[in-house]
Amino acid sequence: MNPATGKQDGQRLPSTYTAAPGHRFDVGDRVVVKRSNPPGHRRTPHYIRGKTGVIERICGAFPNPEELAYGFDGEPKKVLYRVRFRQKEVWPAYRGPAHDVIEMEIFEHWLEPAQSQKT
Amino acid sequence: MSATHPKKRAADIGGDKAGAVDTADHGMKFWERQANALRTALRRNGLMSVDELRRAAEDLGDRYAKLEYFERTTFALRTVLLEKGYFTEESLAAKMAEVRKRFDVPRKKELPVKKKVKR
Repeated sequence: MNPATGKQDGQRLPSTYTAAPGHRFDVGDRVVVKRSNPPGHRRTPHYIRGKTGVIERICGAFPNPEELAYGFDGEPKKVLYRVRFRQKEVWPAYRGPAHDVIEMEIFEHWLEPAQSQKT
Repeated sequence: MSATHPKKRAADIGGDKAGAVDTADHGMKFWERQANALRTALRRNGLMSVDELRRAAEDLGDRYAKLEYFERTTFALRTVLLEKGYFTEESLAAKMAEVRKRFDVPRKKELPVKKKVKR
Protein backbone atom coordinates (compact mmCIF):
# COMPACT_ATOMS: atom_id res chain seq x y z
CA MET A 1 0.00 0.00 0.00
CA ASN A 2 1.28 3.41 -0.91
CA PRO A 3 0.32 5.66 2.05
CA ALA A 4 0.42 8.80 -0.08
CA THR A 5 -2.07 7.64 -2.69
CA GLY A 6 -3.97 5.00 -0.76
CA LYS A 7 -3.45 2.63 -3.67
CA GLN A 8 -1.87 -0.78 -3.80
CA ASP A 9 1.75 -0.79 -4.92
CA GLY A 10 2.01 -1.14 -8.66
CA GLN A 11 -1.37 0.46 -9.19
CA ARG A 12 -0.87 3.53 -11.30
CA LEU A 13 -2.41 6.95 -10.96
CA PRO A 14 -4.80 7.72 -13.81
CA SER A 15 -3.04 9.30 -16.77
CA THR A 16 -3.79 12.94 -17.51
CA TYR A 17 -3.42 12.14 -21.21
CA THR A 18 -6.30 13.03 -23.47
CA ALA A 19 -6.38 12.68 -27.24
CA ALA A 20 -5.76 15.83 -29.23
CA PRO A 21 -8.40 15.86 -31.97
CA GLY A 22 -7.99 19.58 -32.67
CA HIS A 23 -4.24 19.54 -33.20
CA ARG A 24 -2.80 22.16 -35.55
CA PHE A 25 0.31 20.22 -36.64
CA ASP A 26 0.90 16.67 -37.87
CA VAL A 27 3.87 14.36 -37.56
CA GLY A 28 6.55 15.48 -40.04
CA ASP A 29 5.46 19.15 -40.15
CA ARG A 30 8.27 21.68 -39.89
CA VAL A 31 7.72 24.21 -37.14
CA VAL A 32 9.48 27.24 -35.68
CA VAL A 33 9.48 27.88 -31.95
CA LYS A 34 8.25 31.38 -31.20
CA ARG A 35 10.99 33.85 -30.39
CA SER A 36 9.15 35.57 -27.61
CA ASN A 37 9.96 36.65 -24.06
CA PRO A 38 6.69 36.77 -22.15
CA PRO A 39 7.12 37.26 -18.40
CA GLY A 40 6.24 34.53 -15.94
CA HIS A 41 6.49 30.75 -15.79
CA ARG A 42 7.09 29.44 -19.33
CA ARG A 43 7.75 25.87 -20.41
CA THR A 44 9.88 26.60 -23.45
CA PRO A 45 13.56 27.14 -22.66
CA HIS A 46 15.21 30.21 -24.15
CA TYR A 47 17.81 28.24 -26.04
CA ILE A 48 15.20 26.59 -28.27
CA ARG A 49 13.21 29.74 -29.07
CA GLY A 50 13.54 30.75 -32.72
CA LYS A 51 14.79 27.29 -33.74
CA THR A 52 13.22 25.16 -36.47
CA GLY A 53 12.32 21.51 -35.92
CA VAL A 54 10.06 18.71 -37.10
CA ILE A 55 7.04 17.27 -35.28
CA GLU A 56 8.12 13.81 -34.11
CA ARG A 57 4.86 12.88 -32.36
CA ILE A 58 1.68 14.29 -30.90
CA CYS A 59 1.87 13.61 -27.17
CA GLY A 60 -1.74 14.50 -26.37
CA ALA A 61 -3.55 17.44 -24.80
CA PHE A 62 -2.80 18.54 -21.25
CA PRO A 63 -3.82 21.28 -18.84
CA ASN A 64 -1.69 24.33 -19.64
CA PRO A 65 1.13 24.39 -17.06
CA GLU A 66 1.73 28.08 -17.72
CA GLU A 67 -1.74 28.70 -16.25
CA LEU A 68 -1.57 26.00 -13.59
CA ALA A 69 1.56 27.77 -12.33
CA TYR A 70 -0.60 30.66 -11.15
CA GLY A 71 -3.33 28.61 -9.53
CA PHE A 72 -5.74 28.47 -12.49
CA ASP A 73 -7.22 25.24 -13.85
CA GLY A 74 -5.13 25.06 -17.04
CA GLU A 75 -8.21 24.89 -19.28
CA PRO A 76 -8.53 24.78 -22.21
CA LYS A 77 -6.01 21.98 -22.56
CA LYS A 78 -3.09 22.57 -24.89
CA VAL A 79 -1.72 20.10 -27.40
CA LEU A 80 1.79 18.95 -26.60
CA TYR A 81 4.19 17.81 -29.34
CA ARG A 82 7.57 16.17 -29.30
CA VAL A 83 9.69 18.22 -31.67
CA ARG A 84 12.98 17.05 -33.14
CA PHE A 85 15.79 19.55 -33.78
CA ARG A 86 19.24 19.13 -35.28
CA GLN A 87 21.86 19.73 -32.61
CA LYS A 88 23.92 21.70 -35.12
CA GLU A 89 21.09 24.15 -35.54
CA VAL A 90 20.39 24.49 -31.84
CA TRP A 91 24.05 24.95 -30.89
CA PRO A 92 26.02 26.73 -33.63
CA ALA A 93 29.34 25.52 -32.16
CA TYR A 94 28.15 21.88 -31.87
CA ARG A 95 31.00 19.52 -32.75
CA GLY A 96 29.16 16.17 -32.78
CA PRO A 97 27.89 14.28 -35.84
CA ALA A 98 25.52 16.12 -38.18
CA HIS A 99 22.77 13.56 -37.58
CA ASP A 100 22.62 14.21 -33.82
CA VAL A 101 19.25 15.51 -32.70
CA ILE A 102 17.63 16.89 -29.58
CA GLU A 103 13.96 16.21 -28.91
CA MET A 104 11.85 18.44 -26.73
CA GLU A 105 8.21 18.47 -25.74
CA ILE A 106 6.68 21.83 -26.62
CA PHE A 107 3.10 23.09 -26.32
CA GLU A 108 1.23 24.13 -29.47
CA HIS A 109 0.95 27.79 -28.52
CA TRP A 110 4.75 28.06 -28.73
CA LEU A 111 4.89 26.75 -32.31
CA GLU A 112 4.38 28.34 -35.75
CA PRO A 113 4.54 26.68 -39.19
CA ALA A 114 8.05 26.94 -40.69
CA GLN A 115 8.15 29.17 -43.79
CA SER A 116 10.67 27.11 -45.74
CA GLN A 117 10.20 23.42 -46.50
CA LYS A 118 13.90 22.73 -47.02
CA THR A 119 15.51 20.32 -44.58
CA MET B 1 21.88 32.40 -26.26
CA SER B 2 23.52 34.68 -23.76
CA ALA B 3 24.00 33.42 -20.24
CA THR B 4 22.90 36.84 -19.03
CA HIS B 5 19.67 37.11 -21.01
CA PRO B 6 17.61 39.57 -18.98
CA LYS B 7 14.33 37.74 -19.51
CA LYS B 8 15.54 34.30 -18.52
CA ARG B 9 14.08 32.85 -15.34
CA ALA B 10 16.19 31.18 -12.66
CA ALA B 11 15.62 27.58 -13.78
CA ASP B 12 16.18 28.28 -17.48
CA ILE B 13 19.91 27.56 -17.64
CA GLY B 14 20.19 25.35 -20.73
CA GLY B 15 23.33 26.36 -22.64
CA ASP B 16 24.80 28.47 -19.84
CA LYS B 17 28.32 27.94 -18.59
CA ALA B 18 27.88 25.82 -15.47
CA GLY B 19 31.29 24.58 -14.32
CA ALA B 20 31.80 21.20 -12.68
CA VAL B 21 28.78 19.22 -11.53
CA ASP B 22 28.75 18.19 -7.86
CA THR B 23 28.10 14.46 -7.95
CA ALA B 24 28.41 13.79 -4.22
CA ASP B 25 25.37 12.07 -2.73
CA HIS B 26 24.30 14.54 -0.06
CA GLY B 27 21.54 12.32 1.24
CA MET B 28 18.64 14.03 2.96
CA LYS B 29 18.79 15.92 6.23
CA PHE B 30 16.12 15.32 8.84
CA TRP B 31 14.25 18.54 8.07
CA GLU B 32 14.53 17.85 4.34
CA ARG B 33 12.73 14.52 4.75
CA GLN B 34 10.00 16.23 6.70
CA ALA B 35 9.70 19.09 4.23
CA ASN B 36 9.57 16.63 1.35
CA ALA B 37 6.82 14.62 3.03
CA LEU B 38 4.81 17.75 3.84
CA ARG B 39 5.09 19.15 0.33
CA THR B 40 4.20 15.82 -1.27
CA ALA B 41 1.20 15.30 1.02
CA LEU B 42 -0.18 18.78 0.38
CA ARG B 43 0.27 18.45 -3.37
CA ARG B 44 -1.26 14.97 -3.53
CA ASN B 45 -4.26 16.31 -1.67
CA GLY B 46 -4.74 19.04 -4.23
CA LEU B 47 -3.71 22.11 -2.20
CA MET B 48 -1.44 23.20 -5.03
CA SER B 49 0.09 22.00 -8.27
CA VAL B 50 3.72 21.19 -8.95
CA ASP B 51 3.57 23.96 -11.54
CA GLU B 52 2.78 26.53 -8.85
CA LEU B 53 5.71 25.30 -6.78
CA ARG B 54 8.05 25.53 -9.76
CA ARG B 55 6.86 29.04 -10.53
CA ALA B 56 7.28 30.15 -6.92
CA ALA B 57 10.81 28.69 -6.89
CA GLU B 58 11.71 30.53 -10.11
CA ASP B 59 10.33 33.71 -8.54
CA LEU B 60 13.28 33.54 -6.14
CA GLY B 61 15.37 35.02 -8.97
CA ASP B 62 19.04 35.38 -7.98
CA ARG B 63 18.37 33.55 -4.72
CA TYR B 64 17.36 30.43 -6.66
CA ALA B 65 20.94 29.37 -7.43
CA LYS B 66 22.19 30.29 -3.95
CA LEU B 67 19.75 28.05 -2.10
CA GLU B 68 20.00 24.29 -1.85
CA TYR B 69 17.29 22.18 -3.46
CA PHE B 70 15.16 21.58 -0.37
CA GLU B 71 15.53 25.18 0.79
CA ARG B 72 14.24 26.29 -2.60
CA THR B 73 11.30 23.88 -2.71
CA THR B 74 10.35 24.63 0.89
CA PHE B 75 10.47 28.37 0.27
CA ALA B 76 8.25 27.83 -2.79
CA LEU B 77 5.80 25.84 -0.64
CA ARG B 78 5.73 28.66 1.91
CA THR B 79 5.09 31.23 -0.85
CA VAL B 80 2.18 29.30 -2.39
CA LEU B 81 0.54 28.56 0.97
CA LEU B 82 0.76 32.27 1.86
CA GLU B 83 -0.73 33.22 -1.53
CA LYS B 84 -3.63 30.88 -0.96
CA GLY B 85 -4.22 32.19 2.52
CA TYR B 86 -3.64 28.98 4.46
CA PHE B 87 -1.69 31.08 6.94
CA THR B 88 -0.24 34.57 7.27
CA GLU B 89 3.39 35.64 7.70
CA GLU B 90 2.56 36.50 11.30
CA SER B 91 0.87 33.21 12.19
CA LEU B 92 3.67 31.24 10.53
CA ALA B 93 6.35 33.15 12.45
CA ALA B 94 4.48 32.63 15.71
CA LYS B 95 4.09 28.89 15.06
CA MET B 96 7.76 28.52 14.13
CA ALA B 97 8.80 30.24 17.36
CA GLU B 98 6.52 27.95 19.37
CA VAL B 99 7.79 24.77 17.67
CA ARG B 100 11.43 25.81 17.92
CA LYS B 101 11.10 25.90 21.73
CA ARG B 102 10.11 22.26 22.00
CA PHE B 103 11.91 20.73 19.02
CA ASP B 104 15.68 20.53 18.77
CA VAL B 105 17.41 18.22 16.29
CA PRO B 106 20.98 17.26 17.25
CA ARG B 107 23.46 19.05 15.03
CA LYS B 108 25.24 15.84 13.93
CA LYS B 109 22.10 14.55 12.21
CA GLU B 110 22.15 17.59 9.97
CA LEU B 111 25.23 16.42 8.05
CA PRO B 112 24.34 13.20 6.26
CA VAL B 113 26.72 13.58 3.30
CA LYS B 114 27.28 10.11 1.95
CA LYS B 115 29.95 9.06 -0.49
CA LYS B 116 31.76 10.96 -3.19
CA VAL B 117 30.83 9.55 -6.58
CA LYS B 118 33.79 9.01 -8.90
CA ARG B 119 33.52 10.56 -12.31
